[in-house]
Amino acid sequence: MADAAPAVAAATVKDGAVIRRLLAFAWSYRGPCIAVLVIQCVLIALGLSGLHYSGLYIDYLHHLMKEAKAPAWPMGVAPPADWPALAVVGAIGGGVLVMAGTRGVLNYVYSIMIQRLLNLRVVPALRAQVYDKLQRLSFAFFDANGSGSLINRVTGDVQLLRSFIDGVLLHGVIMTVSLTAYLVLMARTNVGLTIACLATTPLLYLASATFTRWVGPMYQKNRELQDRLIGRLSESVQGIHVVKGFARESEERALFAAINAEVRDQQRRIFWRVSLFTPAMEMLTQLNLVILLGYGGWLAIEGRLSTGELFVFSGLLQQFSGQVSSLAGIANTVQQSLIGAKRVFEILDAPVAVETRPDPVTPAQVRGAVRFERVSFGYKPDEPVLHDIDLDVKPGSCIAVLGATGSGKTTLMNLIPRFYDPTAGRVLIDGVDARDLEVDALRRSIGLVFQESFLFSNTIAANIAFGHPEASREQIVHAATIAAAHRFICELPKGYDTVLGESGVNLSGGQRQRLAIARAVLLEPSILLLDDPTAAIDPQTEHEILEAMDNAIAGRTTFIVAHRLSTLRRADLVIVLEKGRIVERGTHDELMRAGGHYLKAAELQVSDPESLRALDAARPGAVA
Amino acid sequence: MSPNPSPASAITVVSRDPEREEDRRPLTLALLRRLFSFTRPYRGKRNWLFVLTMLRGAQLVAMAWALATAIHAVCDPANAGDGRVVWMAALGYGGVALLTCFTFHFRQRLALELGESVVHDLRGLLFGHLLRQPMSFFHRWKLGRVLSRVTSDVDLVRQGVQETVFVAIVQLGQGLWAAAVMLWYDQVLFAVVFALVPIVHWLNMRFRASLSRSWRVVQESFSRVTATVAESVNGIRVTQGFARQEINGGLFRALVEDHGRFNMDQARTSALYVPLLEFKTQLWIAILMVLGGWRALNHDVSVDTLLHFFFQANLLFGSMLALGNIYTQALSAMAGAERVFKLIDTEPEWQDAPDARPLPPISGRVVFDRVCFSYEPGRPVLQDLSFVAEAGQTIALVGHTGSGKSSIINLIAKFYQPDSGTLTIDGHDIRAVTGDSLHRQMGIVLQVNFLFTGSVLENIRVGKPDATDAQIIAAARALDCLDLLEALPDGLNTVVGEKGAGISLGQRQLVCFTRAMLADPRILILDEATSSVDGLTEARLQRALAVLLKGRTSFVVAHRLSTIRHADQVLVLDHGRLIERGTHVDLLTQGGIYAGLYRQFITTGAGQ
Repeated sequence: MADAAPAVAAATVKDGAVIRRLLAFAWSYRGPCIAVLVIQCVLIALGLSGLHYSGLYIDYLHHLMKEAKAPAWPMGVAPPADWPALAVVGAIGGGVLVMAGTRGVLNYVYSIMIQRLLNLRVVPALRAQVYDKLQRLSFAFFDANGSGSLINRVTGDVQLLRSFIDGVLLHGVIMTVSLTAYLVLMARTNVGLTIACLATTPLLYLASATFTRWVGPMYQKNRELQDRLIGRLSESVQGIHVVKGFARESEERALFAAINAEVRDQQRRIFWRVSLFTPAMEMLTQLNLVILLGYGGWLAIEGRLSTGELFVFSGLLQQFSGQVSSLAGIANTVQQSLIGAKRVFEILDAPVAVETRPDPVTPAQVRGAVRFERVSFGYKPDEPVLHDIDLDVKPGSCIAVLGATGSGKTTLMNLIPRFYDPTAGRVLIDGVDARDLEVDALRRSIGLVFQESFLFSNTIAANIAFGHPEASREQIVHAATIAAAHRFICELPKGYDTVLGESGVNLSGGQRQRLAIARAVLLEPSILLLDDPTAAIDPQTEHEILEAMDNAIAGRTTFIVAHRLSTLRRADLVIVLEKGRIVERGTHDELMRAGGHYLKAAELQVSDPESLRALDAARPGAVA
Repeated sequence: MSPNPSPASAITVVSRDPEREEDRRPLTLALLRRLFSFTRPYRGKRNWLFVLTMLRGAQLVAMAWALATAIHAVCDPANAGDGRVVWMAALGYGGVALLTCFTFHFRQRLALELGESVVHDLRGLLFGHLLRQPMSFFHRWKLGRVLSRVTSDVDLVRQGVQETVFVAIVQLGQGLWAAAVMLWYDQVLFAVVFALVPIVHWLNMRFRASLSRSWRVVQESFSRVTATVAESVNGIRVTQGFARQEINGGLFRALVEDHGRFNMDQARTSALYVPLLEFKTQLWIAILMVLGGWRALNHDVSVDTLLHFFFQANLLFGSMLALGNIYTQALSAMAGAERVFKLIDTEPEWQDAPDARPLPPISGRVVFDRVCFSYEPGRPVLQDLSFVAEAGQTIALVGHTGSGKSSIINLIAKFYQPDSGTLTIDGHDIRAVTGDSLHRQMGIVLQVNFLFTGSVLENIRVGKPDATDAQIIAAARALDCLDLLEALPDGLNTVVGEKGAGISLGQRQLVCFTRAMLADPRILILDEATSSVDGLTEARLQRALAVLLKGRTSFVVAHRLSTIRHADQVLVLDHGRLIERGTHVDLLTQGGIYAGLYRQFITTGAGQ
């Protein structure tokens, strides 16, 4: 099935298209976004005024103490001349405090607003949307994409996508506004000084951008090495019987030590670079200050710049440099958010193979007549898996399907609950084309048991009631009883409320399959599909589930994929598939007589004459 | 706290790892000392680090002092027009800054390297220790638990070594030096700073505590989200088959909305405390302005004192916040270290006896003499088991799930030890020989047909690491399955394993058979896979198996009738007791339990 491959093709999508789509996505949240931006502008203004007042204070103090020139009061509003110096000082201090208080409150409001937007609106909505879509995609999609990658779409990639709103758009606007404000204010203080001090800023940006490019691949390599290390460890644990059984401990240890050392050495190379970069960046920032002290100091000493102005300027400069070095971060976020967005959009855009048509037929009661009419199917158009299947099944009969791996058994079964639609011909349920039926109603009338039953980490009761969560306890117990599972469930410490997957509860393959059968029969389906349910079960334990199967099959149309004679003999009709065609059909006895593939497959299992003689000798007549 | 949703309203119920409950540990001297002992091989580096960190604490304070002094010098009207002052101020400050950055490089690099080296050693130690553990350990310890020790817990230790200790020294030094400088310049203003200290500390601690509580709730809720998505992806066939998309979608929506609310709780904490902590700085500036201004106007202090206080107080507050963080980090590191050490301290339940000798080359006669065995005390799995397997015989083990078949092969492989009775191989008590020497004469193929990530060739070579490609090909040819392996997409170089491309069940089994064939063991242990493969492959497998079993003492947990039929002895087990033994035909003739079992699963007759 893996060859159907609607797999990841993220790289082919154009960045421009993704960005347009992201902008449209962000636009739908414009209300809170604009509110947040307004608050940020006020915050920047308040921060700058606070800084300005501190400068004013210094100048005023200098003016009083050292007869420096009087400060330039903002907007020409000087304090009344009769105010004592201390009152002015107190007023400025109070002003700073009030502004800080306002800033605090606004900051609180800002954080709450943006977090509400992200945590309560954007992310849950996106996650739910991706999850909903994911659940409707065809199995082929799941086979083609690793489960780890799909899980990540809902968790990590959604977060990356949303970082486009806060990390790129909002942050970008705020940064532009604040950088402009800083620049204007610095230039207003002194143009020459501004230019001199900003001379190193491009260096700062370059350094951090270069560093990201310089170390990025090394981190990538490091992650790969770490993955290998963990992979090796987890395989050694999972395959511990092979390691110990072939006395390969010392080889394993050597292998692990080699990767371990490789990780360490790679880390060291990274450390070298990091510990060159961080101090260098710090030194660049300090260089700014040195220039400020030198050039600005000269201006001050020449009397062309007041102490307060120098102070304000240094504050502005620091904030400016800080913002510039985080510019590289934004560039990085853009990349990351685009990658995440592509992966999320890919899920949202993936076509749903099977959908209910606009005015479907909702069957009141499915009787269970299944008819294949010249059905052909291929996961890819040019590679048919089933050819011209014709099959007419009366309600309540049991059809066994036999065939080699890849002969199309599972595919045939998948067409009945409409997991796929035939590429030619049609599948009729009670005489109605399956495509005309409401999909969910159709599937609820079909019980499914797979080769290896997937049970959820939930209570046994919740697992049995999976298809009908409102089922009463009586219904659940009834289903479990049919599936011959009631007895062992009652022996578990918490009975039906035992949580599967927790330590201590290890169900055998046979027990798990019986739960799966209970889950299927709880729905009282008229059609039952059993895809090789005994595959993972010991033949000596098989009888445990045969009883369950016999109970479940009774009165339902059943399709069962099977290899074992014990099962095949129960069927009203056996069909043998080969390369997507029905090559033999008939009852067990007929096929044995016909002497084709069926007989050959059967002979591998059937007892030899010698054994039969031995059995007969023991209890003559016991074997008919 | 977050209540775990009830089973009915969840897709997946997530249970906690009990060992991870305690994510903090108090600092204990013994634990610290032990952790510290791992730096001993690198003590040169470590000692240098101590010197550097102490130096850096002082340097940061010196830098702030130099900056204040320089600003004051250039702004003092007394120095008006004196260009030399400017030069000295700029260069003086630049010099101190350069020195500080220089120290920073070494202090950062050495700390990172030291942490990585310790982690490297710890990982190696843990891995070696894991391999020394007997099988019972792996039965108890789930993979996830082992991985979390070697990854997240070891990483906590790394942080502890790389950051906690050394950053603490830097910050402590910085705080103390800053306090000293302030005390030197003005006691009154210092008293104010000192009065603010407990407030800052209290705020910070409240913040940390509240943040870490909500962080934990968020983590738990996130693990529910991830687990639910994971199961939904893996169980997609069930979901679609039972038309549960709508219901699951609704449950998941509720789950992520809950998660969003928990995130919001955490955000509210940050939104409250971060501005509060920032406001404290502003409060301090306002106080400095008013009180300092008053004192300056009274000529009690000079303006440059105010400047020093402005810079130094921030250093002091900064170091307090940092120390608070580090303290929290240290507690987590301790918890991680304790879990790691607990694993290291888990003594293997048993090891080869100290006087165990290597097993000489054997012919392969295996004797069980009144062997009793149990995985847990009081729940016997094998009772009083005695039988003899002559060299070269094939022994088929038959019985229900739980009858003790797997336990027998576990004992022969010395994965477990008998509780009583003796198990001898060629007359050597299995207890008196080393496991390693035994395993070198043994081959194992288990049901899971485990393959490592790597090529088919590499997987086969596990059986004999020094085998040439030619030997491997010869082994595959001997089993008459070379063509099937070469039919893989890249032939014998096809990469298989967890992430490996499609290799069928039958081919997996063949790789494991070839691996055992290559090892050419005297004793072969085989737990047959239950899954049926198609008829053609099955026939090939049976032929290969016959070759593999030939001439070796083989113990087979048999699921194939053909294997049982050709066995020299069939041992029928029930609840840990040997109830019947003999050849297939003998047992059928006896018409006992085996005959019944056999009839049950062949249900043959009618068609023949």
